[in-house]
Amino acid sequence: MSNNLKEERKEMITLNHYLAFSAILFTVGVYCLATKRNMIRLVLGIEILINAANINFIAFSAFRSKGFIDPLAHSIVIISISLAGCVTAVALALVVYAYKHYGTLDVRKLRRLSG
Amino acid sequence: MFSQPIDTLIVFTVTTPLIGWLETKIHLKNLCGVYIAAGLIFSGLSLRELFIKALSEPVTLPVKTSPFSSCLVIDRLSVFMALIFTILGLLATVYSIEYMKEDDGIPFYYTLLSAMICGMLGVAFAGDFFTLFVFWELMCISSYALVAFRKHEWEPIEAGLKYLVMSSAGSASILFGISLLYGLTGTLSFTQTSGMVINSNIWGYISLSFILLGFGVKAAIFPLHMWLPDAHPAAPTPISALLSGIVIKTGVYAIIRSLFSIYSPINSSWQAALMAIAILTMSYGNLAALLQDDIKRLLAYSSIAQIGYILFAVSTATTQANAVLGLTAALMHIMNHALMKCLLFLCAGAFIYRAGTRSLARLSGIGRRMPLTAVTFAIGALAISGIPPLNGFISELMIIYSGIRCNAYIPTVILLVNILLGFAYYLRLIRIIIWSSPSGRLNKAHEAPFLMLIPIALLALACIAIGIYPSPFIEFARQAAESLVASG
Repeated sequence: MSNNLKEERKEMITLNHYLAFSAILFTVGVYCLATKRNMIRLVLGIEILINAANINFIAFSAFRSKGFIDPLAHSIVIISISLAGCVTAVALALVVYAYKHYGTLDVRKLRRLSG
Repeated sequence: MFSQPIDTLIVFTVTTPLIGWLETKIHLKNLCGVYIAAGLIFSGLSLRELFIKALSEPVTLPVKTSPFSSCLVIDRLSVFMALIFTILGLLATVYSIEYMKEDDGIPFYYTLLSAMICGMLGVAFAGDFFTLFVFWELMCISSYALVAFRKHEWEPIEAGLKYLVMSSAGSASILFGISLLYGLTGTLSFTQTSGMVINSNIWGYISLSFILLGFGVKAAIFPLHMWLPDAHPAAPTPISALLSGIVIKTGVYAIIRSLFSIYSPINSSWQAALMAIAILTMSYGNLAALLQDDIKRLLAYSSIAQIGYILFAVSTATTQANAVLGLTAALMHIMNHALMKCLLFLCAGAFIYRAGTRSLARLSGIGRRMPLTAVTFAIGALAISGIPPLNGFISELMIIYSGIRCNAYIPTVILLVNILLGFAYYLRLIRIIIWSSPSGRLNKAHEAPFLMLIPIALLALACIAIGIYPSPFIEFARQAAESLVASG
């Protein structure tokens, strides 16, 4: 009985669900980057984008073949999380300096350059 | 661990802060700069051995493969790119010794510079997508910090933040594309994925477009270029030279690598789209450069235009016969543009160092006060606008020839018009710098320091030498192109 239940649960969440979730997460990240004014939210947007890709990796590694999880994807995700941490650290440092110069976190106030 | 050139650089990078500490203890100036320059020389020398090995077949490292190790595959193209990166990195380091003398935190500057070059070497050597991505991020993160290095001024911070947000969104897009590729093929190695995507469905294209979008941000392709004209002028000059000269080239390299070796069977379908993007990129870059008053901004826009030329050459590489020709033209222009743009930025840096301004109106006539720098600047400007005895002419001729060979007549005509446009604003630049009479403000300006003149003179000599005797360089580029076509 309990075995059956487990099987059913496994089937309930398929690969496509994970992929759809990560696609939604990616969209949320892009939306955040495109519309938010607060610089810290922009940094969070980048984090969300990277995490969407990480979820993809984990989902693919789990559903590749039954009962086997590809360790390659897991090592990739761990490295990628630490890389995302580095990017966030540099980004937050820049945000602090931008705040010191401009006295605001609103990215639209940083308009002196016209690129 | 990661092949000798990268290992050498990593050791030098990690130990630079210690050397900086030593520098303050024993009061020996410039120790860090000399140390990193030595590191680059050692790593450049060890490239030679790799090159000889890579002549016969690509070197695969590490020999013992496990799923957790990095994967490097070094072929002739990798060595070609690595050579450009190391040489220009070395010249910029020598230039920095004088240029950055007055700044704080010099050891960190050199650490970041060396880490950036290390990352670029890794991108060139990578044999699978994830190794490429890790080194890519190493390069990106150190370049964000370098752009914002003068943190007490507003401009570098604003430009750095803009660069960081756009470029790391691009990196995330690359990672997303890689994850889809992993889902499609179950592996990320370049040699194994090529051919596996051929039978796949629309997802192959989706993953390719995410990856190209990400690399396109770094390569400053037309709609994704917004960070470049801000970030390149705001960085310290040696870094602008490296960003314009080689960092955007790693983006192009990654695009070439993905199109020709990973997604090689989807060969002809991207050609028209890439050509259209190339035309847009070069036209936009040239038109915007016409209007600039800031000398570094003008050079930055010109870099966008030159990326357009390189992409045009890549897009002409369609059939098996044209592929080697178009890629050779692209690689030649990558090398030539790296030399020319580095030369122009370093000269501009020398003007800025002496005059203290970036505005062309205020710099007018400075060439009269700094004759040597002005002559080398003119050499660079003439080379990049394609005047015959210089190197830009050779590669631009090759690009036009490969455009005609693949029967793209109208795009080739647009390319020619663009080259003429480029000539127009470089003539304007030469006229302002050299032919105007200097204003009273520039009375104090005099010739650039000797240490800054050495890299400038070497680059100018290289421009002339490649222009007069191009055959060994073309042969080298052709071998690199052949190794790429053979791997696909």
